Amino acid sequence: MLAIDAQDVEKTFRSGWPRRRETAALRGVSLTVARGAIVGVLGPNGAGKTTLLSILATLLTPDRGRVTVLGHDVVREAGALRRRLNMVSGRPSFLWSLRVGEIIAFYGRLYGVSGNALRRRVDSLIELCELVPYRRIPYSDLSTGLKQRVALAKALVNEPELLFLDEPTLGLDPDVAARVRTHIARLRREQGITIVLTTHYMREADELCDEIAFIKAGRILARGTSGELKRQIRLGEVIALKLDPARVPWLAESPGVLRCVEVDGWVECTVDEAENRLPELLRALHAKGIVIRNVQVREPELEEVFVELAK
Amino acid sequence: MSWRNELLAVWAVTLRNALMGARNVFFFFELLFWPIVGVLSIGLMSRFLELTAAQASFVLVGTIALSVVNVCQLEVAYAVLLDVWSKSLKHQFLAPIGIRHLTLGSWIVGMVRSLAVFVLLAALGRWAFGFRVLQPGWLPLATFLLGCFLTAWVVGVAVCALITLFGNRAEAFAWASVNLVLVLAGIYYPISVLPDAIAVVARAVPLTYFLDAYRAHYGFESEFRAPIATGLALSALYAALAHWAFLAAIQRARRTGLLLKMSE
Repeated sequence: MLAIDAQDVEKTFRSGWPRRRETAALRGVSLTVARGAIVGVLGPNGAGKTTLLSILATLLTPDRGRVTVLGHDVVREAGALRRRLNMVSGRPSFLWSLRVGEIIAFYGRLYGVSGNALRRRVDSLIELCELVPYRRIPYSDLSTGLKQRVALAKALVNEPELLFLDEPTLGLDPDVAARVRTHIARLRREQGITIVLTTHYMREADELCDEIAFIKAGRILARGTSGELKRQIRLGEVIALKLDPARVPWLAESPGVLRCVEVDGWVECTVDEAENRLPELLRALHAKGIVIRNVQVREPELEEVFVELAK
Repeated sequence: MSWRNELLAVWAVTLRNALMGARNVFFFFELLFWPIVGVLSIGLMSRFLELTAAQASFVLVGTIALSVVNVCQLEVAYAVLLDVWSKSLKHQFLAPIGIRHLTLGSWIVGMVRSLAVFVLLAALGRWAFGFRVLQPGWLPLATFLLGCFLTAWVVGVAVCALITLFGNRAEAFAWASVNLVLVLAGIYYPISVLPDAIAVVARAVPLTYFLDAYRAHYGFESEFRAPIATGLALSALYAALAHWAFLAAIQRARRTGLLLKMSE
């Protein structure tokens, strides 16, 4: 069952007067997301990630294409859809004088929660997002990390079936970002929420997402699991060797070796297939009398996939 | 949407605006300072010009009306402005909230605040200049205040529409244009003294008719045949137009991306 079914979505922004400028943000994007999945939308700045999320979240209307979210058309049935989804953005901002508890309660009321149910919901979200000591602190006095946690609490106030996270850990300290990631993973695990997230942090996408869609210049260029993406663009695999002597220039010329680089005393050889090339390399090194102190085989990092696709 | 949810959404906005207002020293300043300055300076000017008691009442009614409308319309405009200033507009419109909830919730706070201003200015007018707001009686006074509140609603929603249409850079233009229309509405003078072209504009402002009806109780002959009915009819017409304009502006902002831009 699909949570999101977007087909051939196009969006162009027009600005300037009297000379109008047109910026095509989305050029025929199609994306489907299964219920209960976590899907990452990755891409360089200006690729169209936020535009896509905003259309799916009813904040922006598409110029062309058909978009159905949780069974609702995002334009014609936006009102009914808004009750069932929510969003966290990278640089959240709320009314400066309102206190943490008041912000969550305000949005709770907009979603029809009141009385004791609202009090219980606010209490549990404050606890979940580790905001108990800050409950009565005005929003303007909070640190960036705390503001992000308030945004997450606000986004959960209507118990959404679908959650959009636009750069949810942007600007956070690593420990806070790790806690936010833990929350996100727990939301899917315990509540079965469908999550679509954009991020610049490849590790985050690798850790959280079942699937990744790579978007560039308003088009989805690749889509799949992290492993599938790595195989899809044929980055090869990496054989890292700790050798004595450390420098072995002829390794780069060996059959099946795409490139070799030295990193922190290791020689990292990218090969087409590690399974076949590793025995050959080890035999050749042994024959030349080179001592092999350590060997590691790994897939390329998602970041390398990103760099390759963003070229 | 159920009635319960409708009322809850209005209450959410009412509570939010009330809390924001209670915690902002500048809101308090605008609530008291300018209205008091207005009544004192106009009252003292009327004394200097040796106006009769009725003439002084005429201008003081206008001064108080201007303050009441200004305080109330500002609060209605806060329906959007608070979120524009705090860059939280997209969170608000991501929620299942309609512009009716926003404007009604803000209007309720606006009416309470401007009623407080009215009571204060009425007391000041009585103490300093012997001006009696209750001279016409409770019903004319209530009708006059209703007229002020309705005008404020229309003006506030129009400001919301303009800001949503042109972005926060249009804020100054929005205030200037709507305040100009208010000043034309015979605040300090009967509209018969205005040039014909401007008098046409004044006749199109609902407040003109409510001022006219209220001042009739201070001995000034009414310039219109049925001022209250005309004022109410015009208010209803403009309220519908302003609501439609705000709705259209929000839909356009969703189309152009301005809703997101104003949240960045």
